[in-house]
Amino acid sequence: MELRQRYEEDLYLVRGALGWAALLALAAVLAALPYLAPGYFLYTASLIAAHVVIAIGLNLLVGYTGQISLGHAGFVALGAYAAGILAARLHVPWGAAMAGGGLVAALFGFLVGIPALRLTGPYLTIATLGFGIAVNQVLTNWDALSGGRSGLFLPKLALAGARLHDHHIYYLFAAIAAAGIWVAVNLARSHIGRAFVAIRDSDIAAEVMGVNLTVYKTLAFAVSAFYAGVGGAMLAFLLGFLEPQLFTLFESVYYFSMIVVGGLGTIPGPVLGAVLLTILPQQLAGLKQYLPLVYGATIVFVMAVEPWGLYGRWLKIKLWFKTWPF
Amino acid sequence: MALLAQYVAGGLATGSLYALVALGIVLLYRTSRVLNFAHGDLATFGTFVAFAMITTAHWSFGLAAAGSLLVTAVVGAAFFFLIIRPAKEATLLGKIVITLGLALVLQGATAVLWGTDTKTMPFPLSDIKVYRLGEVVISQISLGSFTVGLALMGGLYVLVQRTRVGLAMRAVSQDGVAAQVLGIPVRRILALTWGLASALGAAAGILLAPVTLLDPYMMLDPFLKGFAAAVLGGIDSMPGAALGGLLLGVIEALFGAYVSVKFKTTMAFLIIVAALVLRPEGLLGREYKRRV
Amino acid sequence: MKLARVGALVALLLLVTATMAATQERGITDTEIVIGSSQPLSGPAAFWGQGVGGGMDAYLKWINDQGGINGRKIRLVLRDDGYSPTRAVANVRELVERERVFAIVSLIGSANAFAVRDYIIESQVLWVTPTADANMWAGFKNKKYLFVGYPGYVDEGRILTTYAARNEGVKSVAVFYQNDLYGQKGLLGVKRGITDTKIKLATAVPYEVTDRDLSGHALKLRQSGADAVILYATPTQGALIVREMAKIGFSPKLFASFTLADPVMFQLAGDAWNGVIATAYFPVPGSDPKVDAMLETLLKINPQLRQSPFNALAGVSFLEPFIEALRRAGPGVTRDSVVRAFESMRNWNGEVIRGVTFGADRRQGLNRIYIIKSENRQYKKLTDWIEYPVGF
Repeated sequence: MELRQRYEEDLYLVRGALGWAALLALAAVLAALPYLAPGYFLYTASLIAAHVVIAIGLNLLVGYTGQISLGHAGFVALGAYAAGILAARLHVPWGAAMAGGGLVAALFGFLVGIPALRLTGPYLTIATLGFGIAVNQVLTNWDALSGGRSGLFLPKLALAGARLHDHHIYYLFAAIAAAGIWVAVNLARSHIGRAFVAIRDSDIAAEVMGVNLTVYKTLAFAVSAFYAGVGGAMLAFLLGFLEPQLFTLFESVYYFSMIVVGGLGTIPGPVLGAVLLTILPQQLAGLKQYLPLVYGATIVFVMAVEPWGLYGRWLKIKLWFKTWPF
Repeated sequence: MALLAQYVAGGLATGSLYALVALGIVLLYRTSRVLNFAHGDLATFGTFVAFAMITTAHWSFGLAAAGSLLVTAVVGAAFFFLIIRPAKEATLLGKIVITLGLALVLQGATAVLWGTDTKTMPFPLSDIKVYRLGEVVISQISLGSFTVGLALMGGLYVLVQRTRVGLAMRAVSQDGVAAQVLGIPVRRILALTWGLASALGAAAGILLAPVTLLDPYMMLDPFLKGFAAAVLGGIDSMPGAALGGLLLGVIEALFGAYVSVKFKTTMAFLIIVAALVLRPEGLLGREYKRRV
Repeated sequence: MKLARVGALVALLLLVTATMAATQERGITDTEIVIGSSQPLSGPAAFWGQGVGGGMDAYLKWINDQGGINGRKIRLVLRDDGYSPTRAVANVRELVERERVFAIVSLIGSANAFAVRDYIIESQVLWVTPTADANMWAGFKNKKYLFVGYPGYVDEGRILTTYAARNEGVKSVAVFYQNDLYGQKGLLGVKRGITDTKIKLATAVPYEVTDRDLSGHALKLRQSGADAVILYATPTQGALIVREMAKIGFSPKLFASFTLADPVMFQLAGDAWNGVIATAYFPVPGSDPKVDAMLETLLKINPQLRQSPFNALAGVSFLEPFIEALRRAGPGVTRDSVVRAFESMRNWNGEVIRGVTFGADRRQGLNRIYIIKSENRQYKKLTDWIEYPVGF
């Protein structure tokens, strides 16, 4: 590891020429993707961007703050439906509708955070899981609000009257995901992020050191839910159609697997997890009924071989090259 | 009044099966601190093994049930030895995700091996033959599975609280390292727990199958309810799991009957969350004191 | 001289390939026609997908073994969507843009159909029989490349209820329905039938697909005092509720949607499935020699379909009109010639599906069902075809 001598050096997000080169290369590949990849892959790429936003938010809650949520599909659903209702029924522009989706989800995140103050471990798991199921049942049965099982159609994304095409949507979603990553990186190293980590490592010790548990735990839920809500709004506009069965316990488990497989408590981890677990079932769709077998075995294999997830493996590889030949 | 009693009886019958699922989850959690999300799919797998033994190999029901419990126990123990133990570096959340992956594998394997169509499970008791208790009707099958469920719970209680193996399990659950130092074979105890918990799941599956019919996804809902019941009762308490299961069954039945069928699962979870906010350690769980 | 001859030959070859490329339709080569479908082959809805997908696959194998259609074999690209709309969209886009399929056949579930609807319509790919409530297409524009050979749940519910009131003397009905678009549309149809015949709706009890404990539902049905119960359910829940009702000694007249006109019900529900009146949009196995022969052919090709004969035959029924249209379109098949061939179909009978009619303004190929009754583990025909108005 390199030596850092001044505080400013520690503040840099990207370090050294190599870091910049890697980042620029990645940005160039992502920017050139619409010219390299066919249209159907851009849809998958946009889907990945939405999943990245959701996973980053979930990781702030689970990986950084140590609060388990198996009801995240509930927040995603709230964001998606809030954005959908704003755009389809109230004719709010889509940018504002997306933000609205995030805010509505954040409000519910704050509310769920209150009972979560007293709960930990499996108890919190069940409470959040119950929240996810409740959201799903309310959306299913409150037809007047959500359209119920008949679904809710969203207007197409458009700018100044011109409809956005696959590659526009991809650029837009990639930009949102990049912004989400940038905010999360900075949040994680601010005093807020450090308070989150302190709560994860020991909430009693954190409280003794002056971290207000009520404020920071509910804040973690609200921030995480905001990300989920924005991700949900992205999903809503990408599909152009909403149905409560898009947001079941299965999806909650799916998002949860993304962050753990990717690497908990890191920023690149959930990104890698979202990429892998979105592409995998898509590419395996031709396997038919063998899909769950291969998909499940991949998850078991990754976790059994690499406890710290994909990003943990990457760090180990990097370390190996740095310290080579020792 | 008779109707109310009928709903309660139905709720108790369902609840006893939730309790059986919950017991397996609690047993494993107490000893190894792993929340096993593959519990439901292990149970389904075990039920299909019993089904295959009866229909393909033409074994008698009792023999097939015993064989299925044994096979499921071996699968559970093998899972511990082959995957959970080698991955001992994994965090608790990592282990949860491993069990999620295993759930997918088992579900996929069951679907590939036996097909996804719904099947009927041959069962020695009839669900059409009923007993009348005053005005309450109880089918032979419900009564039978309720009795077997109670017997299994009682047996498990004796095993954990009154035998040396049970003592060792409790020691491992409190402090694995200390237990090892005292000469308790921790690995074998953990494998035994995995096997026992899996077999309990299979027992629950076999008792459920005649009521719910048999397909690779039959345990989705019962597993979820069993998990919720375990938490409601206190995830480290076995009497709590039994109580949680029965309560959950009755709550669901009554809410569905008198308020709304559409929201009965929501209501069940709301009640659980409310109960947990009042008692964060579950109804019969002990408060977990930590050193900082 | 020699050179000139070679030059002329090359020019001719170029010309031929150029004209071939110009007339080349997507998904069609000299030897095959590629079609695609996305089905739930894994997950809780896999029972449908594997039956329907397996049936389509076996049927096409049968067609291809006879030499295909006009010298071309039909190749089906089947992808798993796990019943999730996001994955269905990805599958359909890949089928259209990468596999360049000539047509999309089926696609199970209303949500999935809704999610891909705009995309398929805009990319002008043929879409044959989306397996979702047919009433969703009424009033929808731009249906040039869409052909639906699947009944509407609302029409079916209305006819079934009317039959119950007029021919079975039913005075009040209770409905047990799946809480999704299938069940809700069925319930809507039942309500229309009730208004038409002035009988009473005693109660409507919904269930979720994951529900396996139906004792409470059965009690509610009994409590309503209805003299008939109409079922809009999957075979699993249909069998469970019938058994639960028998358990508590409640034996109303039973009516069921066509999804339950499945021989598997005799196995799942046993004697409780006796005297059930249901609808059918193609002759159920055991009641028609052509259907039985087709089923036997399918089973010979893929014995696993024995587990889900009804769904396998349904898969065949989705494909049959399309295969016929290909046949009629002749060797120079294009998308538009297939459209014209579809539009020329008048009361056409396949091996499984019967009475298919399309037209220049008509995309709803089926507008009739008939009523059957289960007796001694067999379904028996009660009525002739009953027609309902064409909606689109």
